This record gives sequence, C-alpha cells and structure tokens, in this order.
Amino acid sequence: MTDDLNSLDPYVQWIVAEARRPVYMDASGEARQRLLEALRAEPQPKRERFAWLLEPRVALRPLVATAMAAGLVGIGLIGGLLIHRDGRQVDEPSAHVASSQLPGSIAPRAVKFVLIAPKAARVSVVGDFNGWDSSATPMTTQGGGADGTWTVFVPMQPGLHTYSFVIDGTHFVTDPSAPQTPDDGYGHRSSVVLVGGSSS
Amino acid sequence: MSMTRRVMALLVLAFTARAVASAQSAEPATRDLDPLGRLTDASRYQIELILDSARVAGLPTAPLESKALEGISKRVDSRRIVVAVRMVFRSLRDARSVLGEHASPDELNAAASALRVGLTRAELAHLAQTRREKAITVPLVVLSDLITRGVPRDTASQTILQLWQRGAADDDFLGLWRGVERDIVSGTDPGVALLNRAREVPSRVPSTPEAGSRPEGTETRNP
Amino acid sequence: MSDAADVQRVLNGDVDAFARLVDRYYERCARFAVRMLGNRDDAEDALQATFLRAYRSLGKYQERDKFSAWLYRILVNQCRSIAARRNHRDRVFVREEALLLNAPDRRPTWTGEDEEFVQRVLAELDPLLREAFVLKYVEEMSYEEMSTLTGVGVSALKMRVKRACDRLRSRWERIKDD
Repeated sequence: MTDDLNSLDPYVQWIVAEARRPVYMDASGEARQRLLEALRAEPQPKRERFAWLLEPRVALRPLVATAMAAGLVGIGLIGGLLIHRDGRQVDEPSAHVASSQLPGSIAPRAVKFVLIAPKAARVSVVGDFNGWDSSATPMTTQGGGADGTWTVFVPMQPGLHTYSFVIDGTHFVTDPSAPQTPDDGYGHRSSVVLVGGSSS
Repeated sequence: MSMTRRVMALLVLAFTARAVASAQSAEPATRDLDPLGRLTDASRYQIELILDSARVAGLPTAPLESKALEGISKRVDSRRIVVAVRMVFRSLRDARSVLGEHASPDELNAAASALRVGLTRAELAHLAQTRREKAITVPLVVLSDLITRGVPRDTASQTILQLWQRGAADDDFLGLWRGVERDIVSGTDPGVALLNRAREVPSRVPSTPEAGSRPEGTETRNP
Repeated sequence: MSDAADVQRVLNGDVDAFARLVDRYYERCARFAVRMLGNRDDAEDALQATFLRAYRSLGKYQERDKFSAWLYRILVNQCRSIAARRNHRDRVFVREEALLLNAPDRRPTWTGEDEEFVQRVLAELDPLLREAFVLKYVEEMSYEEMSTLTGVGVSALKMRVKRACDRLRSRWERIKDD
C-alpha cells in the first residue's frame, strides 16, 4: 500500500494526506443523535424470512474464535446431556462461555462436540443450528489424529437441538454419548442436546 | 416470492463468491446458496404450503425447515422429504393440541418427537397435566431415547410418568438415562435396565397428587 | 467485540449493539461521504440513509463477509444516489488562485483552508474517478474489495484510479504554471 502512495506525484500524495484527515461532522454529535433516534423508531431487524433458504450455512467461526481468544476453550459443555465416549462426564452447568460480556438468557453457549473416529478422513457436525450443512462445522483432530478424537466448539442458543456427525462427507452417525431421536424420516437416527440446562 | 429469492440469491452470490472460494472447507461439494433448489418444484411447493399451515397454526416453523434441510443434506428423494416434513408438522400440531398454547418450542419439539416414536396422546396429556409448572422437555427427550433404544413403549412411558409424578428433577432423568444407556451397551435388556435404574431415582415429595386421586391436605412443592 | 458478533446481537434483540457498530464506523463513513459529496449536509443525508438501510437489511448480512465491506457497499450506493439527485455542476472556484498566490512557495504547505481546497479539487473529478480514487487512497481498500463493493472489475478500477491521479496532477500543473 505505502509503495503505491510513494509512487504518486507529490501533489497527489498531498491531496491524499489531506483527504485522509478525519472529518468532523459537528461538535455536538447531533447528527449521530438524530441517526440513533431514527433507528429507534425502526422496527427491529429480523433474520430474513427465507434466509434459511439462501444463506450459505454460517460457519460460526467468528464466535468460536472470540471464545478461544478469550482463553475460554477449556470450558466444554454446558447442559449435561453430553458426555465423552469414554464415560467422562462433562456437565458443569455453571460454565458459561464469555457470558459476562453477553446479554443473559440469549447468550449462545459454546458446546463441545467430540467423536472418536480413528479411520475418518474428515468429520463434521450437522444439525438444526447449521442447516445440516456438512461443510459448515468441520471438526479437527488434535495431534495429527493419532487417537482419532475429533472435536469442535459450536456456539449454540440455549434449548433443544438435534444433530448428527458426518464422516467423510457421506456417513451419518449419531453421537454414542447422547440421547437419540427416533428415525428421522430418512432412515437414520439423530442425537439430541439440550443446551443451557432445562428450558423454562 | 421466488423472484425476490432469486434476486437475493444473486446478491448473496456477489458478496460471498470470493469468501466461498477461499473457505477452508474440505468438502468437495459447493455450498448451495439456494439449498431448496435441490428439491423438485412440486415438493418445494408442498413444503411451502406446510410451512404456511404451520404459521397459521402458530406452530414453530424452525423444526420443519430443519427437517427439510436435513433431508437435502442427506440427499434424500424430494417426495420423501415432503413426507418427513409433513410428519413433523402433524406431530407438532398434535403436541400443541395436547400441551396447549403455552408450551415452549422445546417442549413442543420434544413432545412431537415422543409422539412420533409411539407415545400416545393420552400418555402425553398425563405427563403434561402433572406438575404443570415444570417443563417436560427433559423427561420427553429421555423417554424418546429409551423407546428408540428398545425399551418397550408401555414400560418406558409408565416408568417415566411415575418418576415424574414422584417429583423427579431434570438431573434425575439425566442420571437415569446415563445409567440405562450404559447398561444397554453392556448387554442388559433395555426394559430391565430401565426398571432397575428407575428404582435408584430418589422419590421426592410430590408437588401435586397423583392424577385421578383426591387432593389430601396441604400440597408441598419440590425443593 | 467483532462486527459479526454485534450484528448477531442486534438480530437477537440487542438493539444497542447497533449503536456500537454505528460508533465504530460513523467517522470513517462520514469522511468518505464528505469527500464524495463535497459538503456536510449531503454527507449527513447519505450517512443517515446508509445506517438506516443497513439496520433494515441487517438480516441479509452474511457473517462470512466483512461487515465494513457490506456497509460500504450501501454507503457507496447512497452517495451515488444523492449525487445523482443533485444538479451537481462543477463550480469554478475563483478563490483558489488567490490561495495559491498567497502560498510561500509552489509546494502546497498552507493550512486552514486545505480541506476546502481538497474538496474542490476532488469535486472536479468525474464522480466515478473520484469514487475509485477515494476508495483506493483514502479508504485504503484493495482493488478486490473495491471490485466487490462497486461491482466493477479490478482492471477498470485501476484505470479509473490512474486517470484520477493524472487529472489531479495535470490540474496542478496548469495552476502551477498559471
């Protein structure tokens, strides 16, 4: 970028430098106030009515990245219905990811999904939170996947969610350590997780 | 409406084309900007009708949309997707008629699921009418799972109902479920496993009398 | 907090999160609008329209996009509409020669009325050239981003930026040499 600038005529460089100066709209912030008032008069924006049809399934990575950056990765799951396959229970209902910074009841909680699949080339989790898009929430293995443990943290809204794991893009498997739903209508079963403890 | 959708799809395409190209996803399939496009026109239309019916009836549409997307993701035939979505719709409608207007979406979903796995409306009503102040989401989730894993339907619903009437909390049901699951995995008959584990659930002071019996003295609430 | 997170918050009902987004982008957008439109009144109209429109169509925002890019697309379009609505003719600024004569030397070092001068200089550019120039050098966007914003190809944008620089320079040559 700066290279571009230096190659410019000095006069143009000066124009640029001046043009880059901040513009002060008004000292009192009235313009901003008027804007905020106008916004308050607006109906609240909602997700598009048909957004679920069109939107590429959001990878949810921004929020996960935030949680990880905040050093909260270790706080696994909330809600008690998910246990690791080796029998370890991970149910600490008081563990909230970054909830002190987020509004209370609607704060998404980071849910840790774990699957042990040593022979898998790739694994993802799909469910009602990502439109069952098998490319939306890929899972990762630690340490080169020697022990075949695949994990991912997914921010999820409190409540009941249905999900499944997808191995190598085609093979749908339930979570061995979660309650199951009956046949999904497509010849598979799915898994259920209740995020955030019992619903009201 | 479909015109608007197409325009929106194009806009989204313009914004996300580059993002999609650089996505880290290892999946070979490109992400659909219009996943419903994989359905046949007739199926898509029928699903829209179902969604409209759901809206009119005040039912949550998210489970229906989700079921459609699930089928698309699993590359299921369009007509079968319509059947599945319709089944979810009917079970939600039935759940609503039993649970009433004030049931939360989670309760509706859990109840619909339980109805689909064979719980009768009468049994569901029984659960709902006992301890009305408490959500029945967790007992229903556990119940559906147990039936799915092979516990006979009658056994499962009667046991869960009894525990519920005796004041079992969500954690009790979860603990019960974990125990039964472990037992089934290690080879115990599912029905037997449930009855065994159910005995371990502490009986708390019931907050309401058993259905059908007369109220006796002062009611006490759950701690 | 990231932009995308704030957007989600707004969609989940936390309307104040949008105020945070406004604060984060207001000054930068204001600068662009003023540079493009040449006066604060029009710029304020553009800003108002931009943020209102962004708020209304927040449901369409895709998290994988950069929020700033998404917002700027709206801003660019609003500025274009407002400019088109005005009967904008380049004005001849008779005072600028006087400014130049007052300068201690030919290199532009005077202060005070610089902004007005720059505004006039920019205003003399064809709007599309101005837009490309401002996006590239004032907003410091990459040509990729600019292309997504404006819907114009990268090479066309490069050409516009180059032409803008040429015009600015040749204009300076003319003034300089009287």
